[in-house]
Amino acid sequence: MNDKAVPPCQAACPIHTDVRGYVSAIAKGDVEEAIRIIRQVNPFPSSCGRICTRLCEKACRRAQIDEPISIRELKRFASDQTLGLKLIEIPENSYEEKIAVIGSGPAGLTAAHDLALLGYRVTVFDSQHVLGGMLSQGIPDYRLPKDLVKKEVDNILALGVEAKTGLSLGQDFTLEELLKDYQAVFIAVGSQKSLLPKYNGVELNGVIAAVEFLKQVSRGHKPRLGKNIAVIGGGHTAIDAARTSVRLGASDVTIVYRRTVDEIPAGPEEVEHAEKEGIKIIYLAAPVEFSGNEKVQSVRFIKMQLGDLDKSGRRRPVPIENSEFEITADTVILAIGYMPDAEVLKESGLNISRSGTVLVKDYTGITNIHDVFAAGDVVSGPQSVIEAIASGRRVAEALHHYFRTMPDKEEKNFMALKELDDGIVKLINKSERQKMPALKVEERITNFDEVDLGYSKDQAVMEAQRCLNCGAGAVVADNCAACLNCVRICPYGIPFPGKEIAEIDISQCQACGICASECPASAIILQLEAKENNRAELEKAVDIAREETPEILIIGFYCRYGSPIGPPFDEDEVCWLGKFCTGRMDEHQFIYPFELEVDGVVIHMCKNDECRFRDGNQWSKSHIKSAKKILNEIGIGADRLDIISEEDFHNFRNKLHALGINPLRTGKKVKT
Amino acid sequence: MIVAELKPFKEIENMLRDYKKVMVLGCGTCVTVCMSGGERQVELLASALRMAGRLERNEIIAGEKTILRQCDPEFIDQIKDEASNYDAILSMACGAGVQGVAERLAGIHILPAMNTTFIGVSDGQGTWIEACAACGDCILDRTGGICPVARCAKSLINGPCGGSKGGLCEVSKNNPCVWQQIYARLGKLNLINLLKGMSQPKTRPVHPRKLVNPKNAFG
Repeated sequence: MNDKAVPPCQAACPIHTDVRGYVSAIAKGDVEEAIRIIRQVNPFPSSCGRICTRLCEKACRRAQIDEPISIRELKRFASDQTLGLKLIEIPENSYEEKIAVIGSGPAGLTAAHDLALLGYRVTVFDSQHVLGGMLSQGIPDYRLPKDLVKKEVDNILALGVEAKTGLSLGQDFTLEELLKDYQAVFIAVGSQKSLLPKYNGVELNGVIAAVEFLKQVSRGHKPRLGKNIAVIGGGHTAIDAARTSVRLGASDVTIVYRRTVDEIPAGPEEVEHAEKEGIKIIYLAAPVEFSGNEKVQSVRFIKMQLGDLDKSGRRRPVPIENSEFEITADTVILAIGYMPDAEVLKESGLNISRSGTVLVKDYTGITNIHDVFAAGDVVSGPQSVIEAIASGRRVAEALHHYFRTMPDKEEKNFMALKELDDGIVKLINKSERQKMPALKVEERITNFDEVDLGYSKDQAVMEAQRCLNCGAGAVVADNCAACLNCVRICPYGIPFPGKEIAEIDISQCQACGICASECPASAIILQLEAKENNRAELEKAVDIAREETPEILIIGFYCRYGSPIGPPFDEDEVCWLGKFCTGRMDEHQFIYPFELEVDGVVIHMCKNDECRFRDGNQWSKSHIKSAKKILNEIGIGADRLDIISEEDFHNFRNKLHALGINPLRTGKKVKT
Repeated sequence: MIVAELKPFKEIENMLRDYKKVMVLGCGTCVTVCMSGGERQVELLASALRMAGRLERNEIIAGEKTILRQCDPEFIDQIKDEASNYDAILSMACGAGVQGVAERLAGIHILPAMNTTFIGVSDGQGTWIEACAACGDCILDRTGGICPVARCAKSLINGPCGGSKGGLCEVSKNNPCVWQQIYARLGKLNLINLLKGMSQPKTRPVHPRKLVNPKNAFG
C-alpha cells in the first residue's frame, strides 16, 4: 500500500495531468474547473482532446471492469465548452533574458508558453508561415481542425510570445547569430524528414512521402493522385494519408502494413474509421519493388510472418519465401518513418546521433553547445504530441533553473496505484463507455469536416461519472478510535484493523464515503468531499436561495449517479444539491439545513437496485430515519424531512405547506 | 469496553433548562467505539440542543468538543481554559468520565448526557452485549470463558435455574440461557467435569473500590 501513489492515468500521462481532478469536475458539470485543471499543465487541450495517444486510457483501471474512461473525449469536451473563456492572465515581464525557440510545434510552443508565464521574453522562429508544426500541417482537418490549432497558438502568442515565420535555421539565420541576441536557444524543429526505402523504383514519379503530401493538402493543394492508391506504413500518418486520399477522390485505397492489426501503431479506432471509409488494409506484407515507366504503375509486395521479438519489443516481421504479389497503384504514399533533418543540425555544430537526432545531456535538453538546448522529436525521434509537450515543459523549467541559478529540480516520481484486486472488481457495477457521435461515412468522405462530433453535455457527464476516482477515497486520521465500524460496514470490505487504528488501502477504496458518514470519531476523511466543503456548499446554497425569498424553502439532496444530468426535476421551492451517492451523508447533514431555517428537506435517491456503491441506498435510509427521530424530539417535526420521488413530491409539498414554515423562524414548537 | 447510551432528549433538555452556554463534551474512547458519545454524536446533539433551545425561546450556545478520555485529568486539562467560558458541561462520557471532569473542573456544573449501561463486547455491526459485571472475583476459568454473573438474568453461579427452556432464558426470551452456553462450550472443550465443582457465593464488593499499583504509586 502506498498512499502517496497517484491514479494510474496521471502517472501514465507524460505531463502528469490531474486527470481524476478534471474528470470529477465534469462529473458534477463544472467544465470551467475542468479546463482550469487541464490548462495548468497543457496549453493544447483542444488538440490533445482530439489526437492524443491517450497513455492515460491505457492505464485506466476501469478497464479491469469494462472499458477505460474516455479521457481524451472528456478533455475535448471541457475544451470545446470553454473556448471563449479567458483562463490565463498575461504575465509581467519579470526577467531580462531573451530566449529563442526554433520550431513552433508542440514542444517549442509549450516551452514558449511556460517561459512566457515565468516572465521571460520569448521569440519563436519557424521555417513555415503557419505556426503549430505538425499540429497545423501534418494532421488533416477531419481529425484536428486548423482553426482550433490556430486558437491555441494565438493564446500562446497572446502571452507576449513573438513569432518570426518563414525563417529557416541554416538558411536565414545561424545559431551563432541567434546567440548574439538571445541568452538561450531552444531547438525544437521536430522530426519531419521522411525515411525512404531503398527499393527499386522508389525514385519513380507518383511515389511520394506521406508528410509532404499531408502538408501540401493542408496548404490547400489538391494533388492529383489517380484512382488506385497504395499507402505503406501503419502509423497515424499512414492512416491520415489514406483517409486524405479518399477525400481527394481516390476510389481504391489500400494500406499495406508489415505486422498485424494487433501491432498497428495507429490503433483500433483509426483503423475502424479507415475501414468504414472503404480503405482496404493488407497486413503482414512489405514492398519489394515499385514498377512503372517514369511513373509508378504497380508495387510488388512480399508476405511476412512474425518472428522473434525485436529491440522495440515487437515481433519482427520476416518475409515468407515465394509469396510475392502485386498491386496496381497510380500513387504510392510512403509513411514508414521520419527522422530529423540532420544535415542542418550537424552544420550548426550540434552533436548528432546515428539516427539523426540531437544528442542532449538529459531531460534538461542541454546540448554540446553552450546556451543551446534541444528537446521534442528532434531529440527523441518521432513521438506523440503529448510527449513533445512534456519535453517542452521540462526544458522550460530547466532553462528557468539555469537562468536563476537554482539547482536542477529532481524529477518527481509519479507512482501509480496498483491494480484493483479481483474481489473488488467483481463488486463494481459495469457501465458502458459513451460512444463518440461521428459524421456518417457518406457525409465525410467528400470533405475535410471533422469526423468526430464530440460528446453532448449529457454524454460527457455520464462518461465522467464512470470514473472510479482512484485514490480519492477514504483516509483514516489519527483520531481514529479503532471502533472498527468501518471494517464491518464497508460494502467492499476494504478497511482492516491495523495495529493501532483502522487502515484503508487507498488503492482499493471505491470512495463511496459510507465509512466516513458512519465514523463515530469523524476520523475518516473523504478526499473527494471534505466535511467543511459540504457545510459551506449548503450554507451558500441556502443564502442564495433565500435571496429569492420563497415562502417555503426546501433543500433537495439528489444522487448524482441516479440523476447524472442534474436535479431530478424542477420545482421553484426546491434548491437542489447533488451528491455522489446519498449514502455518504451523515445524519447531521440532514438536520443541519433546519438549523439554517430551511423549511423542508427532500432526498431523491437512485433506485434501490441501482446504487453505484451497493449499500448506499440502505445507509441513506438509515441516516434519514435517525435524523427524523431527532427532528421529532426537538420539536421541528419529522415530516419536514423525507425521501421523495418526482411523483410524490407534491404530497410532500402540500404536507409542508400545511405545517407552515420552519418553527425556528416563528419560535413555535410543533407538538409531537 | 464501557457501553453507554444517550439519555432521552427531553431529560437532557430539562437538565440544561437554566443554562445559556453549554459545552457538549465528547469522549474519544469507549463511548466513541460504541458510537454514542464521540465527535459525531457531539455534533448532532449540539445541533439538536441549539434548535430545541431556540424553540423554547431559551437560546443556548452549545459548543462542541471531544477529548480522548474524560477519565484522565491530563486530558481534561486540555479544555480547562475553554471550559471556563461555559455555564455547564454536558458530558457524553460514561459515569466515570462525568465524575472525572466534575472533579477536575470543580467550578463548573457537569451534567451527564449518557446512561452508562454495561461493560461489554461487540456483537457485530452496531451491537454490543454485556459481558462483565466487574464483580471483582473472576470465575471465567470454570465457565468456559462465559460470565454467568453478567450474562445470566439471575447472576447464578452454579448452574441454570429451572426456567431455562430450549436454550433460552425465562426472563427474556430474546436471550440465550447462559448456562446452556457454558455447558455447550465446556463440552466442546472436553471440560464438563469442571461443572462438578461448586463456586462459592461471591462477597459483594465494598464500594468504592480502589486499585493501587505499588510499582507506579510509590510517590
